[in-house]
Amino acid sequence: MAAPADTPRRRPGTRSPIPPGLRAAVPVLLLLIFGFVAPLLTVAAFSIAEPRSYDVFTSFTLANYAQIFDPANSVWMSFAWSLALAALVVGILLVACYPVAWGLVHVFGRWAPAISAILVFPLFVSENVRLYGWVLFFIKGGVLDGVLKVFGIGPVTDLLYTPGMTLFGMSYVYFSFMLFPMVLGLAMVPRDLVDAARDLGASRLMIWREVELPLAMPGILIGMLLTFVLAAGAVAEAKILGGQSVITIAQDIETAFTYAQNWPLGAALAMVLVVIVGALALFVMGRLDLDRILGRR
Amino acid sequence: MNGMSRRTMMKLTGGAALTAPFLPGAALAARDKELNILCWEGYNSAQVLDPFRAQSGANIRAESLTNDPTMINRLRAGETSTWDLINVNNPWARKVMYPSGLIKPLPRAEFEPYFDQMLPEFKAPYKWAMSEDGTELLGMAQRFGPYSFVVNTDKISRATAEEQGWDLFNDPALEGRYGILESDDWNVFNMFMVAGINPFLDHSDAEMAKFREVAERIVKGARMIGDIAMMNQALVSGEIDLHLTGGTYSVSPARADGNLNLRAITPLKGAIDGKGGIAWIEITSTVANPDLSPLAQEFLKYVQDPEIAHTVAFAEGTFNPVTQMGNPDCFELFSKDELEAIQWESLEEDMARSAEYDIVPDYDEALDILTAAKRLRG
Repeated sequence: MAAPADTPRRRPGTRSPIPPGLRAAVPVLLLLIFGFVAPLLTVAAFSIAEPRSYDVFTSFTLANYAQIFDPANSVWMSFAWSLALAALVVGILLVACYPVAWGLVHVFGRWAPAISAILVFPLFVSENVRLYGWVLFFIKGGVLDGVLKVFGIGPVTDLLYTPGMTLFGMSYVYFSFMLFPMVLGLAMVPRDLVDAARDLGASRLMIWREVELPLAMPGILIGMLLTFVLAAGAVAEAKILGGQSVITIAQDIETAFTYAQNWPLGAALAMVLVVIVGALALFVMGRLDLDRILGRR
Repeated sequence: MNGMSRRTMMKLTGGAALTAPFLPGAALAARDKELNILCWEGYNSAQVLDPFRAQSGANIRAESLTNDPTMINRLRAGETSTWDLINVNNPWARKVMYPSGLIKPLPRAEFEPYFDQMLPEFKAPYKWAMSEDGTELLGMAQRFGPYSFVVNTDKISRATAEEQGWDLFNDPALEGRYGILESDDWNVFNMFMVAGINPFLDHSDAEMAKFREVAERIVKGARMIGDIAMMNQALVSGEIDLHLTGGTYSVSPARADGNLNLRAITPLKGAIDGKGGIAWIEITSTVANPDLSPLAQEFLKYVQDPEIAHTVAFAEGTFNPVTQMGNPDCFELFSKDELEAIQWESLEEDMARSAEYDIVPDYDEALDILTAAKRLRG
């Protein structure tokens, strides 16, 4: 059926009051609002609800935060363990991943994609399954013990269920999260600049310090940040490999939401973790003046 | 656990009403082809559900959780309109869920005859399946078992473990030789038992102080804390000789794999009126869903069938005795190995020396103490 002649039509080129960029961003904005902001607001709202209640959006109290910051409450130990382990993992992975990343960019050549695939492949397997695999490796009478016995060494005992094993597990799980941003960073270093520095007489150390590292730093920083944030919220490694030899803050949050059924306390703990990790990340990123770190003005 | 205020419930109901128009049409239609089950693991397995799916042609959804309070609070948080059946341990139906209006009674005339086919201690009227006043049938009993601790009998004999009972965990020589199963509601019970205190009574300050001392010492001395797979693996490998909190539910998979030296122990004596151990019995109830699926009652009848009851007993994950073993048609389906896995030969005496799972009046305080004790391990 033909449209009536007087039906108003938008002429081509008529401007909508909403800018096209914003219109195009609407799906992503909606996704962020419903998928990210709304859950975070709900957690924030629960954190100020009456302890051990479900009176979200109807009650207001700071009792949950008061409980967390009560000097008699030992929950600070869980925060301390999580943050310390996360910092250590970042340090370990910086050292462990850099040579691998450098190799992937400069050395491995046509084998680089295959090696990358091998490193990525474990991510397709459940984290818990991989960690249980390590338990079988380290457990008394397990793979390591058996192999060492062949060489007349051992028995090796008491490897599992220690904070050190938790650290190992976290370093293993988050390896790729540090490695690939680092690879990206190193791949962004223009070869010409390195060649120019060499032509001008710079030593290998100077080239690394003055050219390669500063230019790769965005990728390295992203890797550090990603690893730290994920590691600060980790729990499976401390449970499966660490045997709960230390309690991480994520486990305290889990306990509050499950056995304790104290959702407001769990939400308050989660908010404190978000604030600490967020503030720390912003602080570190803000303070990292690359020129100053590398001695230049 | 605290209840919800009426205001909150109205808000949640209002929220549900607002979101209803966005739900698929099927969700608002008659629910004769849909059944949602909130349960412990086992009832959610394909072995149990698939024959019922085929028989009813319905869409069956089962979600398993590993602690009762979480499941009950899902109903409190407004999910009564989602679920049709809830499967939790014995005290919750009569003491909490029915008084709170979270579950509906079953027609006694229709369901009580099934109890006649069960083991003798479950004959109708079975206490935990009935309302407090004894008038309403609130659910059906099926899986059960003693749940105290597990030992490697190559290291600690059954006789020694039963005789010494909870005091084993007070023995300094066993420090670093035991694990603790990560099941903190049960750990609260069992720390009280090690302290020689009945967990299911109100506790004085002195008793709570004793509980704290025991919890801190036992948690500190544990080689590890972990889930059932970790405990069985550590027992088999020799990393530990025993673990606190465990029973047929936890050790039966390892026994079924041939590790008959691993054994659930029920102490000869203990603090609950002389009873040495604690046992659980699952009660499955129909949820007070305003639009309850007619399949809910059908499913409860379906799992009474001897073959299905046997499947429930040996569903994936854990293996357990079922009340329907009182029916010879069901019992004969259990092989010798299966009976060994669930320690059938001592089940009656273990249950006789066990008190039944109950609610700890000061659970919140005790759990806080236990949680804090864990942090001292680091």
